[in-house]
Amino acid sequence: MMKQPKRLAAPIALAITTTLVASAALAQTVDTARIEAGGQNDWLTYHGSYKSYHYSPLAQINAGNVANLGVAWIHIPGRSTRGLQSMPLAADGVLYYSGSYSRVFALNGATGEVIWSYFPELDEALVARQTHSPYNRGVAIGEGKVFVGTMDGRLIALDMKTGKLAWETKLLDSQKLTVGFTGAPLYANGNVVIGAQGGEWPGRGPIFGVNAASGAKKWEFLTVAGTEEAQKTWGNDSWRTGGGGGWMPGTYDSETSTIWWGTANPAPLYDWSGGDWKTQGARPGDNLYTSSVIGLDVDSGKLKFYHQELPHDAWDFDSAVGEFLMLDRDGKKLTVHPNKSGYIFVYDREAKVQNVWRITENSNFVKNIDPKTGELIGRRDFTAGKVAEPLCPHISGGVSWNSGSYNPKTGLYYKLGQEWCMTLDIVKTTPVVAPQAQLNIGANFTIAKPPSGEIYGHLDARDPVTGAKKWEVRFPEPPLASVLSTGGNLVFVPDSRGTVHAYDAENGTELWNHSDGTGHQGGIISYSVNGKQYIAITAGFGGMAADDYAPTFGGVYKSMPRDDGALIVYSLK
Amino acid sequence: MRTIAAALACAVPAFAQSAAPTPQAEPLDVQQLFASTCGWCHSDAGRVAGKGPQLMDTQRSDDFLRNRIKVGKPGAMPAFGEAFTDAQIDAIIVYIRALKPD
Repeated sequence: MMKQPKRLAAPIALAITTTLVASAALAQTVDTARIEAGGQNDWLTYHGSYKSYHYSPLAQINAGNVANLGVAWIHIPGRSTRGLQSMPLAADGVLYYSGSYSRVFALNGATGEVIWSYFPELDEALVARQTHSPYNRGVAIGEGKVFVGTMDGRLIALDMKTGKLAWETKLLDSQKLTVGFTGAPLYANGNVVIGAQGGEWPGRGPIFGVNAASGAKKWEFLTVAGTEEAQKTWGNDSWRTGGGGGWMPGTYDSETSTIWWGTANPAPLYDWSGGDWKTQGARPGDNLYTSSVIGLDVDSGKLKFYHQELPHDAWDFDSAVGEFLMLDRDGKKLTVHPNKSGYIFVYDREAKVQNVWRITENSNFVKNIDPKTGELIGRRDFTAGKVAEPLCPHISGGVSWNSGSYNPKTGLYYKLGQEWCMTLDIVKTTPVVAPQAQLNIGANFTIAKPPSGEIYGHLDARDPVTGAKKWEVRFPEPPLASVLSTGGNLVFVPDSRGTVHAYDAENGTELWNHSDGTGHQGGIISYSVNGKQYIAITAGFGGMAADDYAPTFGGVYKSMPRDDGALIVYSLK
Repeated sequence: MRTIAAALACAVPAFAQSAAPTPQAEPLDVQQLFASTCGWCHSDAGRVAGKGPQLMDTQRSDDFLRNRIKVGKPGAMPAFGEAFTDAQIDAIIVYIRALKPD
């Protein structure tokens, strides 16, 4: 008699749990206010919240018990050409993420069970012509929809519950421009904002604002010569060689209804002007608004402010990193933005420079950047021919396009730096004004060791405003993936060899590690379902930075696939 | 190598303005092409291995190279079959065969 109810208890409990997960997903809408509040169980936008901390306050997994972390479930998206590079999102117990070729999945966050999937039909012949392709770096969610960009120039909205197509809008003529969208969109205040690829191609790098409900295009901002003022900074009509683009999602300042976005470099990447770059060479002038941080009105796309981090960028150290830490420090509202060069810019909320500091040891494209004004001091501008002293950092950057993490509990910014250089032979090329041959580089080059010795990478724990370093962990090859810190006093680093490391957030002591079986170059998040905390990581290697690893480092990289990937989710055993 | 490249560079290609790129008949300046397009992956203008393989002293046949340039390799090399004519691709192969240490 007494045993009967117990036998029934398990299936009933399971049924109730399933219902709760399902109903929670149906019950709540993701909107701007909810993303702003950044509920602790969810990860609602690429950078975690509009504050862009890549931080989870969850503390169930913590420095005391992380040794018990194990794999909860795995999802294989398939066709992971050039690895898996996206940042998963989580809302109400459901995990949403994208793979290569803009494949989108909604998974039960506790079990990995597929709720729905959506594989867009793409123009494969176009994709075959592209260079920075076919990876996708993430989705946005809002107003009951999941938004994803495609490499053939579309923005697609899917019903969050069913995965059915809600609308799709063609934003770019990718047949003509070659490029499309690989970056995640940003949802804010009824708008979906997405930026095109473009640093190396003839094009004007548009950033788009689209009505989230209808899919109607509201505005388009040209990062190359998008205003009369900007057009004057491209001598000899060189704006036609283009570049720019805002290929990673920025963030949203709701107090001023402003989108913060970073823009890519001008083309060709390397100029032969020498010191006369204001009047000579491939693209005389500052080349606005390339390699800049810009503030756009979210509803109109109107430019409100900008700071060009690298006027006349002659090194491909652009500003397209989409990370904008929104800090409150001593009553001042600040925005911290890493430039690809390894210099970290600290701004007020109108992009006026407050400080500049550097995360890399090996850097010689400029002598310094003035911390008060942001002015470049002692810049190296090349003429045609071999460059005598190697350029540091390497074209893959002093920092990756992936994100660091700011932990408000420790007050520390956990950010990866990369130490590598390149030999360079500048070649005077003919202006490329139409995307037939695609890239417009302007040099031949080879990866090189830095003056300090071997190539390496490092995780730094620093004050995000002053740059003061508290501790550092070194890696034999630069890690390329994003970093996560949590309320459990932990910092997670998925490295290039394929190992995930967990460190004590206060002192950098390694507390746990686990192999994911292949290199990392994408996102990492934490979320909670029914009171249980999970860590989700994308694994899978390949792409413009990762492809250098096998010839440069050998070892495990020689056999590492560049067409494979998995989403691996951890929880306490 | 540079002499050969210069000889091929009789004219600069006029790039297509049409919606889909169409091959142009003009000869190709392959040295420039490497500095603008190929060199990111084929390091030191094709002389050393980078993201892509070393091209200097390649043991691959002309047919293999021609096919790889035309159709590319998914996730590794773009397809240039719509960008270049057969004659232009032949010029690229001539450049590769003439590569010498710098």
